Amino acid sequence: MKRLSLTIGLVALAAVLAACSNTSAAPATSDPGSPPPVGSAVTVTARDLKFTATEVAAPAGKAFDLVFDNQDGAPHNVAIYTDSSASTKVSVGEIFGGPAQKTQSVPALDAGTYFFRCDVHPDMQGTIVAD
Amino acid sequence: MFASRVSLRLSNVVVRGAIVALTLTTGYIHFTLGGLLFTLNAVGYLTAAVAIVIPLALAVRFRWIVRAGLIGYAATAIVAWAVMGPYFATAYVAKAVEVALIVFLVIDFVRHDGSPMAVVRRELAALVALVTRRTGTAGAGAGA
Repeated sequence: MKRLSLTIGLVALAAVLAACSNTSAAPATSDPGSPPPVGSAVTVTARDLKFTATEVAAPAGKAFDLVFDNQDGAPHNVAIYTDSSASTKVSVGEIFGGPAQKTQSVPALDAGTYFFRCDVHPDMQGTIVAD
Repeated sequence: MFASRVSLRLSNVVVRGAIVALTLTTGYIHFTLGGLLFTLNAVGYLTAAVAIVIPLALAVRFRWIVRAGLIGYAATAIVAWAVMGPYFATAYVAKAVEVALIVFLVIDFVRHDGSPMAVVRRELAALVALVTRRTGTAGAGAGA
């Protein structure tokens, strides 16, 4: 029974390690460029657990589409808040794993600076400057 | 070094196997999330999965600490997530796995260790016996 218990543990451990190595070996999207904007769309890209641009320009006074290009395997989103306290939401995008792109609709922003982050990895941060 | 005798019935093996599988599952989910915090969490779960089955005498003797520690670890992860989020599908799956893990750990704890109070009484008795034996040995040494 001792051997059986140990065997179960080791088999499960090996399965997880194998799965982990497959995940880390998954190829990342090699194209570093951002997709072309559609209309007045604003693009934010995540790669290597960072936003590639930490300051993003957006139009003030009119709603716009935000294209989020998640090039990581890890799940991310773009959550826009009024400031870095992240207490007042402006627009919170869906959390999804990459590589994939999704578009979220952002309501009209008054001119000014807004804070955005990934809600899964709060140290991924940036600012949106509405002008 | 290795435990000389471990008596496990099939039901115990099933429960222990479920604990290992659930621990590794939630560890793997956290690993896939990336980032330092989640990776450390995954390492913690991996360590616990090993500690819950490794047949070392020390680990066997203090397995109740591993069980109790893993219950606390999983419960802390659930509470922290409930407070801070984020709330998305994978997170709900991970928390469901952790709830199931806690259930199996409680079953394992009760089957092997009895009630928490029984464990405390047993460990206190062992501690008192150890201190008494050492005091006796020191006294005998001083008298010689």
